[in-house]
Amino acid sequence: MATKFRVEVLTPEGELFNDEVEMVSTRTEVGSIGIRANHTPLLGMLTPTELRLYKSDSDIVTLAQGEGYVQVSADGVLLLVEEAHQKGDLDVADLREKVRRADDAIAEAESGSEAERRARRDKRRAEAFLGVAGEGDAAAH
Amino acid sequence: MSQKDVQNRIASVKNIQKITRAMEMVAAARLRRAEQRISSLRPYAGAIRRMTRQAAAAAGGEVGSQPILAERDEVKAVGILLVTGDRGLAGAFNSQILRAGIRAAAEHEAAGRKVVFFASGRRGVSSLRFRGREPQGDYTGFSDRPAYANAREIAEDLMTAYVDRDVDKVEIFYNGYVSALSQVVRNETLLPLQQATLLEGGEGDEDGNSQDQPDHGHHALVEYEPDPADILQRLVPDYVEISIYRALLESTASEHGARMTAMRNASENAGEVIEDLTLEMNRARQAEITSEIVEVVAGAESLV
Repeated sequence: MATKFRVEVLTPEGELFNDEVEMVSTRTEVGSIGIRANHTPLLGMLTPTELRLYKSDSDIVTLAQGEGYVQVSADGVLLLVEEAHQKGDLDVADLREKVRRADDAIAEAESGSEAERRARRDKRRAEAFLGVAGEGDAAAH
Repeated sequence: MSQKDVQNRIASVKNIQKITRAMEMVAAARLRRAEQRISSLRPYAGAIRRMTRQAAAAAGGEVGSQPILAERDEVKAVGILLVTGDRGLAGAFNSQILRAGIRAAAEHEAAGRKVVFFASGRRGVSSLRFRGREPQGDYTGFSDRPAYANAREIAEDLMTAYVDRDVDKVEIFYNGYVSALSQVVRNETLLPLQQATLLEGGEGDEDGNSQDQPDHGHHALVEYEPDPADILQRLVPDYVEISIYRALLESTASEHGARMTAMRNASENAGEVIEDLTLEMNRARQAEITSEIVEVVAGAESLV
Protein backbone atom coordinates (compact mmCIF):
# COMPACT_ATOMS: atom_id res chain seq x y z
CA MET A 1 0.00 0.00 0.00
CA ALA A 2 1.28 3.45 -0.89
CA THR A 3 2.29 5.84 1.89
CA LYS A 4 -0.46 8.24 2.81
CA PHE A 5 -0.18 11.94 3.47
CA ARG A 6 -2.45 14.71 4.67
CA VAL A 7 -4.37 16.78 2.08
CA GLU A 8 -6.48 19.79 2.82
CA VAL A 9 -8.75 21.51 0.29
CA LEU A 10 -9.65 24.99 1.42
CA THR A 11 -12.01 27.42 -0.29
CA PRO A 12 -13.13 30.90 0.81
CA GLU A 13 -16.40 29.25 1.80
CA GLY A 14 -14.72 26.73 4.10
CA GLU A 15 -12.84 23.45 4.20
CA LEU A 16 -13.99 20.90 1.62
CA PHE A 17 -11.64 18.03 2.29
CA ASN A 18 -9.18 17.14 5.01
CA ASP A 19 -7.98 13.56 5.00
CA GLU A 20 -5.10 11.19 4.30
CA VAL A 21 -4.64 10.19 0.68
CA GLU A 22 -2.23 8.17 -1.44
CA MET A 23 -2.14 10.54 -4.38
CA VAL A 24 -3.43 13.90 -5.59
CA SER A 25 -3.96 14.50 -9.28
CA THR A 26 -4.51 18.04 -10.51
CA ARG A 27 -3.20 20.60 -13.00
CA THR A 28 -0.98 23.65 -12.59
CA GLU A 29 -0.20 26.38 -15.12
CA VAL A 30 2.75 24.22 -16.17
CA GLY A 31 0.77 21.01 -16.72
CA SER A 32 -0.85 17.98 -15.14
CA ILE A 33 0.69 16.89 -11.89
CA GLY A 34 0.42 13.87 -9.65
CA ILE A 35 1.59 14.25 -6.07
CA ARG A 36 2.55 11.30 -3.92
CA ALA A 37 4.04 11.15 -0.44
CA ASN A 38 7.45 12.84 0.02
CA HIS A 39 7.04 15.07 -3.02
CA THR A 40 9.51 17.99 -3.33
CA PRO A 41 8.24 21.19 -1.69
CA LEU A 42 6.22 23.02 -4.30
CA LEU A 43 4.22 26.16 -4.78
CA GLY A 44 2.08 26.02 -7.86
CA MET A 45 -0.74 27.89 -9.51
CA LEU A 46 -3.74 25.69 -10.22
CA THR A 47 -5.85 25.96 -13.34
CA PRO A 48 -9.44 24.73 -13.64
CA THR A 49 -9.59 20.98 -14.04
CA GLU A 50 -10.82 17.79 -12.43
CA LEU A 51 -9.16 17.36 -9.04
CA ARG A 52 -8.76 13.73 -7.98
CA LEU A 53 -7.95 12.72 -4.43
CA TYR A 54 -7.03 9.03 -4.22
CA LYS A 55 -7.86 7.76 -0.76
CA SER A 56 -7.06 4.36 -2.26
CA ASP A 57 -7.06 2.85 -5.75
CA SER A 58 -10.78 2.38 -5.65
CA ASP A 59 -11.87 5.22 -3.36
CA ILE A 60 -11.38 8.43 -5.33
CA VAL A 61 -12.88 11.80 -4.43
CA THR A 62 -13.42 13.94 -7.52
CA LEU A 63 -14.07 17.67 -7.55
CA ALA A 64 -14.31 20.35 -10.22
CA GLN A 65 -11.53 22.70 -9.26
CA GLY A 66 -11.40 26.39 -10.17
CA GLU A 67 -8.30 28.60 -10.04
CA GLY A 68 -6.10 28.36 -7.00
CA TYR A 69 -2.80 27.34 -5.55
CA VAL A 70 -1.13 24.18 -4.35
CA GLN A 71 1.48 24.10 -1.64
CA VAL A 72 3.44 20.95 -0.92
CA SER A 73 5.45 20.95 2.28
CA ALA A 74 6.64 18.47 4.87
CA ASP A 75 3.25 18.83 6.60
CA GLY A 76 1.34 17.64 3.57
CA VAL A 77 -0.51 19.22 0.68
CA LEU A 78 -2.64 22.33 0.88
CA LEU A 79 -4.92 23.13 -2.04
CA LEU A 80 -6.38 26.63 -1.99
CA VAL A 81 -9.11 26.92 -4.58
CA GLU A 82 -11.46 29.79 -5.29
CA GLU A 83 -14.26 27.38 -6.00
CA ALA A 84 -14.70 23.63 -6.01
CA HIS A 85 -17.85 21.73 -6.87
CA GLN A 86 -19.08 18.18 -6.69
CA LYS A 87 -19.64 16.75 -10.13
CA GLY A 88 -23.37 16.47 -9.50
CA ASP A 89 -23.66 20.15 -8.55
CA LEU A 90 -22.47 21.39 -11.93
CA ASP A 91 -25.17 23.02 -14.04
CA VAL A 92 -24.36 22.16 -17.65
CA ALA A 93 -26.80 24.65 -19.17
CA ASP A 94 -25.44 27.43 -16.99
CA LEU A 95 -21.85 26.54 -17.92
CA ARG A 96 -22.66 26.53 -21.64
CA GLU A 97 -24.25 29.95 -21.19
CA LYS A 98 -21.04 31.13 -19.47
CA VAL A 99 -18.91 29.89 -22.37
CA ARG A 100 -21.19 31.71 -24.80
CA ARG A 101 -21.08 34.95 -22.79
CA ALA A 102 -17.30 34.72 -22.51
CA ASP A 103 -17.06 34.28 -26.30
CA ASP A 104 -19.17 37.40 -26.76
CA ALA A 105 -17.00 39.30 -24.31
CA ILE A 106 -13.82 38.18 -26.09
CA ALA A 107 -15.22 39.35 -29.43
CA GLU A 108 -16.22 42.68 -27.92
CA ALA A 109 -13.11 43.37 -25.86
CA GLU A 110 -10.17 45.37 -27.16
CA SER A 111 -7.33 42.99 -27.85
CA GLY A 112 -4.78 43.04 -25.06
CA SER A 113 -7.16 44.64 -22.58
CA GLU A 114 -7.84 43.39 -19.08
CA ALA A 115 -11.43 42.75 -20.13
CA GLU A 116 -10.23 40.32 -22.79
CA ARG A 117 -7.88 38.43 -20.45
CA ARG A 118 -10.67 38.07 -17.95
CA ALA A 119 -13.16 36.74 -20.52
CA ARG A 120 -10.59 34.13 -21.58
CA ARG A 121 -10.20 33.03 -17.97
CA ASP A 122 -13.98 32.76 -17.58
CA LYS A 123 -14.17 30.70 -20.74
CA ARG A 124 -11.37 28.37 -19.70
CA ARG A 125 -12.99 27.77 -16.32
CA ALA A 126 -16.44 27.07 -17.73
CA GLU A 127 -14.99 24.71 -20.36
CA ALA A 128 -12.97 22.84 -17.76
CA PHE A 129 -16.07 22.41 -15.59
CA LEU A 130 -18.01 21.16 -18.61
CA GLY A 131 -15.22 18.64 -19.09
CA VAL A 132 -15.59 17.46 -15.50
CA ALA A 133 -19.34 17.15 -16.02
CA GLY A 134 -18.63 14.91 -19.00
CA GLU A 135 -19.84 17.48 -21.52
CA GLY A 136 -16.45 18.69 -22.69
CA ASP A 137 -16.76 17.74 -26.35
CA ALA A 138 -20.22 19.13 -26.77
CA ALA A 139 -18.96 22.47 -25.49
CA ALA A 140 -16.21 22.69 -28.06
CA HIS A 141 -18.69 23.06 -30.90
CA MET B 1 -65.13 52.42 18.76
CA SER B 2 -67.42 49.56 19.71
CA GLN B 3 -66.19 46.48 21.52
CA LYS B 4 -66.34 44.46 18.30
CA ASP B 5 -64.18 46.94 16.37
CA VAL B 6 -61.54 46.94 19.07
CA GLN B 7 -61.54 43.15 19.14
CA ASN B 8 -60.94 43.06 15.38
CA ARG B 9 -58.05 45.48 15.67
CA ILE B 10 -56.45 43.46 18.44
CA ALA B 11 -56.69 40.34 16.29
CA SER B 12 -55.03 42.05 13.33
CA VAL B 13 -52.22 43.53 15.42
CA LYS B 14 -51.63 40.09 16.91
CA ASN B 15 -51.27 38.70 13.39
CA ILE B 16 -48.74 41.38 12.53
CA GLN B 17 -46.86 40.53 15.68
CA LYS B 18 -46.75 36.87 14.71
CA ILE B 19 -45.23 37.79 11.36
CA THR B 20 -42.62 40.13 12.81
CA ARG B 21 -41.68 37.53 15.43
CA ALA B 22 -41.23 34.91 12.71
CA MET B 23 -39.13 37.30 10.64
CA GLU B 24 -37.01 38.03 13.69
CA MET B 25 -36.39 34.34 14.22
CA VAL B 26 -35.54 33.74 10.56
CA ALA B 27 -33.10 36.67 10.65
CA ALA B 28 -31.49 35.29 13.81
CA ALA B 29 -30.93 31.89 12.18
CA ARG B 30 -29.51 33.47 9.02
CA LEU B 31 -27.30 35.72 11.11
CA ARG B 32 -25.73 32.70 12.78
CA ARG B 33 -24.98 31.16 9.40
CA ALA B 34 -23.55 34.43 8.09
CA GLU B 35 -21.27 34.67 11.13
CA GLN B 36 -20.03 31.14 10.44
CA ARG B 37 -19.24 32.06 6.87
CA ILE B 38 -17.17 35.03 8.00
CA SER B 39 -15.10 32.71 10.17
CA SER B 40 -14.82 30.14 7.33
CA LEU B 41 -13.01 32.74 5.22
CA ARG B 42 -10.26 33.36 7.79
CA PRO B 43 -8.15 30.21 7.20
CA TYR B 44 -8.25 30.76 3.44
CA ALA B 45 -7.32 34.44 3.68
CA GLY B 46 -4.50 33.57 6.09
CA ALA B 47 -3.14 30.87 3.78
CA ILE B 48 -3.22 33.22 0.77
CA ARG B 49 -1.27 35.76 2.81
CA ARG B 50 1.36 33.19 3.80
CA MET B 51 1.75 32.06 0.19
CA THR B 52 2.12 35.67 -0.93
CA ARG B 53 4.92 36.15 1.59
CA GLN B 54 6.63 32.99 0.46
CA ALA B 55 6.34 33.84 -3.23
CA ALA B 56 7.43 37.44 -2.60
CA ALA B 57 10.48 36.23 -0.65
CA ALA B 58 11.35 33.85 -3.49
CA ALA B 59 10.86 36.61 -6.06
CA GLY B 60 13.39 38.81 -4.25
CA GLY B 61 11.32 40.32 -1.45
CA GLU B 62 9.03 42.33 -3.69
CA VAL B 63 5.50 41.77 -4.89
CA GLY B 64 6.54 43.34 -8.16
CA SER B 65 4.96 46.02 -10.23
CA GLN B 66 1.36 45.24 -11.01
CA PRO B 67 -1.11 47.61 -12.59
CA ILE B 68 -3.53 47.35 -9.65
CA LEU B 69 -0.76 48.41 -7.25
CA ALA B 70 0.16 51.50 -9.27
CA GLU B 71 -1.06 54.73 -7.76
CA ARG B 72 -2.20 57.36 -10.26
CA ASP B 73 -0.72 60.85 -10.05
CA GLU B 74 -4.00 62.43 -10.96
CA VAL B 75 -7.36 61.01 -9.98
CA LYS B 76 -9.86 62.01 -12.67
CA ALA B 77 -12.52 59.38 -12.07
CA VAL B 78 -13.50 57.49 -8.93
CA GLY B 79 -15.40 54.22 -8.79
CA ILE B 80 -17.74 53.83 -5.82
CA LEU B 81 -19.03 50.38 -4.90
CA LEU B 82 -22.09 50.36 -2.65
CA VAL B 83 -22.88 47.09 -0.88
CA THR B 84 -26.58 46.90 0.04
CA GLY B 85 -29.20 44.19 0.46
CA ASP B 86 -31.77 42.78 -1.94
CA ARG B 87 -34.57 43.45 0.52
CA GLY B 88 -35.69 46.16 2.89
CA LEU B 89 -37.32 45.89 6.33
CA ALA B 90 -33.94 46.18 7.99
CA GLY B 91 -33.98 49.60 9.57
CA ALA B 92 -31.32 52.03 8.33
CA PHE B 93 -29.23 49.21 6.84
CA ASN B 94 -29.63 50.19 3.18
CA SER B 95 -30.27 53.92 3.52
CA GLN B 96 -27.14 54.65 5.52
CA ILE B 97 -24.95 53.11 2.78
CA LEU B 98 -26.69 55.11 0.08
CA ARG B 99 -26.42 58.30 2.09
CA ALA B 100 -22.69 57.79 2.73
CA GLY B 101 -21.99 56.86 -0.90
CA ILE B 102 -23.91 59.76 -2.37
CA ARG B 103 -22.26 62.21 0.01
CA ALA B 104 -18.82 60.91 -1.03
CA ALA B 105 -19.83 61.18 -4.68
CA ALA B 106 -20.91 64.80 -4.19
CA GLU B 107 -17.53 65.59 -2.61
CA HIS B 108 -15.63 64.01 -5.50
CA GLU B 109 -17.74 65.84 -8.04
CA ALA B 110 -17.26 69.14 -6.23
CA ALA B 111 -13.52 68.54 -6.60
CA GLY B 112 -13.95 67.98 -10.33
CA ARG B 113 -13.66 64.19 -10.33
CA LYS B 114 -16.00 61.98 -12.28
CA VAL B 115 -17.89 59.34 -10.27
CA VAL B 116 -18.77 55.89 -11.56
CA PHE B 117 -21.15 53.84 -9.40
CA PHE B 118 -21.16 50.09 -8.89
CA ALA B 119 -23.80 48.57 -6.65
CA SER B 120 -24.56 45.17 -5.19
CA GLY B 121 -28.02 44.47 -3.78
CA ARG B 122 -31.37 45.40 -5.37
CA ARG B 123 -31.97 48.21 -2.90
CA GLY B 124 -28.78 49.99 -3.84
CA VAL B 125 -29.25 49.47 -7.57
CA SER B 126 -32.87 50.69 -7.63
CA SER B 127 -32.17 53.68 -5.37
CA LEU B 128 -29.29 54.78 -7.59
CA ARG B 129 -31.48 54.43 -10.69
CA PHE B 130 -34.24 56.39 -8.98
CA ARG B 131 -31.77 59.22 -8.43
CA GLY B 132 -30.69 59.11 -12.06
CA ARG B 133 -27.33 57.53 -11.24
CA GLU B 134 -27.25 54.44 -13.44
CA PRO B 135 -24.63 52.10 -11.95
CA GLN B 136 -21.97 50.84 -14.37
CA GLY B 137 -22.10 47.46 -12.66
CA ASP B 138 -25.09 46.00 -10.83
CA TYR B 139 -24.95 42.75 -8.90
CA THR B 140 -28.13 41.36 -7.38
CA GLY B 141 -29.81 38.20 -6.18
CA PHE B 142 -27.20 36.96 -3.68
CA SER B 143 -27.26 39.33 -0.71
CA ASP B 144 -28.77 36.56 1.47
CA ARG B 145 -25.90 34.23 0.74
CA PRO B 146 -23.03 35.67 -1.31
CA ALA B 147 -20.64 33.18 -2.97
CA TYR B 148 -16.98 33.80 -3.69
CA ALA B 149 -17.82 33.80 -7.41
CA ASN B 150 -20.04 36.87 -6.81
CA ALA B 151 -17.13 38.69 -5.18
CA ARG B 152 -14.83 37.63 -8.01
CA GLU B 153 -17.22 39.02 -10.61
CA ILE B 154 -17.37 42.38 -8.85
CA ALA B 155 -13.61 42.43 -8.24
CA GLU B 156 -12.88 41.63 -11.88
CA ASP B 157 -15.17 44.42 -13.08
CA LEU B 158 -13.49 46.90 -10.75
CA MET B 159 -9.96 45.78 -11.59
CA THR B 160 -10.76 45.84 -15.30
CA ALA B 161 -12.09 49.38 -14.94
CA TYR B 162 -8.96 50.36 -13.02
CA VAL B 163 -6.42 48.71 -15.29
CA ASP B 164 -8.14 49.89 -18.47
CA ARG B 165 -8.15 53.40 -16.92
CA ASP B 166 -11.91 54.00 -16.71
CA VAL B 167 -11.32 54.91 -13.05
CA ASP B 168 -8.22 55.97 -11.11
CA LYS B 169 -9.39 54.92 -7.68
CA VAL B 170 -12.07 52.61 -6.26
CA GLU B 171 -13.80 52.99 -2.91
CA ILE B 172 -16.18 50.58 -1.21
CA PHE B 173 -19.01 51.40 1.22
CA TYR B 174 -20.53 48.57 3.24
CA ASN B 175 -22.08 47.80 6.61
CA GLY B 176 -19.29 46.42 8.75
CA TYR B 177 -20.46 43.76 11.16
CA VAL B 178 -19.74 44.55 14.80
CA SER B 179 -22.51 42.58 16.52
CA ALA B 180 -26.13 41.67 16.02
CA LEU B 181 -27.05 45.02 17.52
CA SER B 182 -24.40 47.18 15.94
CA GLN B 183 -23.41 47.73 12.30
CA VAL B 184 -21.21 50.58 11.14
CA VAL B 185 -20.73 52.08 7.70
CA ARG B 186 -17.21 51.30 6.54
CA ASN B 187 -15.46 53.07 3.73
CA GLU B 188 -12.25 51.56 2.34
CA THR B 189 -10.07 52.16 -0.67
CA LEU B 190 -9.98 48.99 -2.78
CA LEU B 191 -7.81 50.23 -5.63
CA PRO B 192 -4.99 50.97 -5.94
CA LEU B 193 -4.14 48.13 -3.61
CA GLN B 194 -1.61 49.07 -0.94
CA GLN B 195 1.61 47.02 -0.95
CA ALA B 196 1.65 47.19 2.83
CA THR B 197 -1.63 45.31 3.14
CA LEU B 198 -0.13 42.39 1.20
CA LEU B 199 2.84 41.64 3.36
CA GLU B 200 2.01 42.91 6.81
CA GLY B 201 -0.44 41.97 9.51
CA GLY B 202 -4.00 40.97 8.88
CA GLU B 203 -6.18 38.25 10.28
CA GLY B 204 -5.49 34.57 10.24
CA ASP B 205 -1.72 34.78 10.19
CA GLU B 206 -0.87 34.79 13.86
CA ASP B 207 0.79 31.46 13.30
CA GLY B 208 2.06 32.40 9.85
CA ASN B 209 4.88 34.67 10.98
CA SER B 210 6.52 32.16 13.21
CA GLN B 211 6.24 29.40 10.59
CA ASP B 212 7.53 31.21 7.57
CA GLN B 213 10.17 33.61 8.76
CA PRO B 214 12.97 31.40 10.09
CA ASP B 215 13.47 29.16 7.08
CA HIS B 216 14.73 31.50 4.38
CA GLY B 217 17.25 28.85 3.40
CA HIS B 218 14.66 26.34 2.30
CA HIS B 219 13.01 28.62 -0.26
CA ALA B 220 15.79 27.66 -2.63
CA LEU B 221 14.59 24.07 -2.51
CA VAL B 222 10.99 24.81 -3.30
CA GLU B 223 9.82 24.22 -6.83
CA TYR B 224 7.63 26.90 -8.38
CA GLU B 225 5.12 26.25 -11.12
CA PRO B 226 5.30 28.78 -12.77
CA ASP B 227 7.90 31.33 -11.52
CA PRO B 228 7.21 33.05 -8.19
CA ALA B 229 6.81 36.36 -10.01
CA ASP B 230 4.07 34.85 -12.19
CA ILE B 231 2.33 33.33 -9.19
CA LEU B 232 2.32 36.78 -7.58
CA GLN B 233 0.61 38.14 -10.68
CA ARG B 234 -2.42 36.21 -9.57
CA LEU B 235 -2.02 36.23 -5.81
CA VAL B 236 -2.14 40.01 -5.68
CA PRO B 237 -5.57 40.39 -7.36
CA ASP B 238 -6.85 37.75 -4.93
CA TYR B 239 -6.57 40.35 -2.18
CA VAL B 240 -9.12 42.54 -3.93
CA GLU B 241 -11.45 39.55 -4.35
CA ILE B 242 -11.05 38.54 -0.71
CA SER B 243 -11.62 42.13 0.50
CA ILE B 244 -14.84 42.33 -1.49
CA TYR B 245 -15.94 38.86 -0.40
CA ARG B 246 -15.35 39.77 3.23
CA ALA B 247 -17.32 43.00 2.74
CA LEU B 248 -20.21 41.03 1.16
CA LEU B 249 -20.22 38.55 4.04
CA GLU B 250 -20.08 41.27 6.68
CA SER B 251 -22.83 43.13 4.89
CA THR B 252 -24.97 39.98 4.88
CA ALA B 253 -24.41 39.44 8.60
CA SER B 254 -25.17 43.12 9.23
CA GLU B 255 -28.35 42.91 7.15
CA HIS B 256 -29.66 39.97 9.17
CA GLY B 257 -28.63 41.67 12.41
CA ALA B 258 -30.35 44.90 11.41
CA ARG B 259 -33.47 43.04 10.33
CA MET B 260 -33.53 41.07 13.56
CA THR B 261 -33.38 44.29 15.57
CA ALA B 262 -35.95 46.04 13.38
CA MET B 263 -38.35 43.11 13.68
CA ARG B 264 -37.83 42.83 17.42
CA ASN B 265 -38.73 46.50 17.77
CA ALA B 266 -41.77 45.97 15.57
CA SER B 267 -42.89 43.03 17.74
CA GLU B 268 -42.46 45.11 20.89
CA ASN B 269 -44.40 47.99 19.39
CA ALA B 270 -47.17 45.59 18.42
CA GLY B 271 -47.23 44.35 22.02
CA GLU B 272 -47.72 47.90 23.27
CA VAL B 273 -50.50 48.54 20.78
CA ILE B 274 -52.21 45.33 21.91
CA GLU B 275 -52.01 46.44 25.55
CA ASP B 276 -53.52 49.84 24.77
CA LEU B 277 -56.28 48.28 22.70
CA THR B 278 -57.06 45.71 25.41
CA LEU B 279 -57.46 48.54 27.90
CA GLU B 280 -59.73 50.37 25.49
CA MET B 281 -61.77 47.23 24.94
CA ASN B 282 -62.21 46.69 28.69
CA ARG B 283 -63.34 50.28 29.04
CA ALA B 284 -65.84 49.86 26.21
CA ARG B 285 -67.15 46.67 27.79
CA GLN B 286 -67.43 48.35 31.21
CA ALA B 287 -69.33 51.24 29.63
CA GLU B 288 -71.76 48.82 28.03
CA ILE B 289 -72.31 46.97 31.33
CA THR B 290 -72.82 50.25 33.20
CA SER B 291 -75.40 51.44 30.73
CA GLU B 292 -77.22 48.09 30.94
CA ILE B 293 -77.35 48.30 34.74
CA VAL B 294 -78.64 51.85 34.53
CA GLU B 295 -81.36 50.63 32.17
CA VAL B 296 -82.32 47.74 34.45
CA VAL B 297 -82.40 49.97 37.54
CA ALA B 298 -84.43 52.58 35.70
CA GLY B 299 -86.85 49.86 34.48
CA ALA B 300 -87.21 48.44 38.01
CA GLU B 301 -87.83 51.89 39.49
CA SER B 302 -90.65 52.56 37.04
CA LEU B 303 -92.42 49.39 38.23
CA VAL B 304 -92.45 50.41 41.89
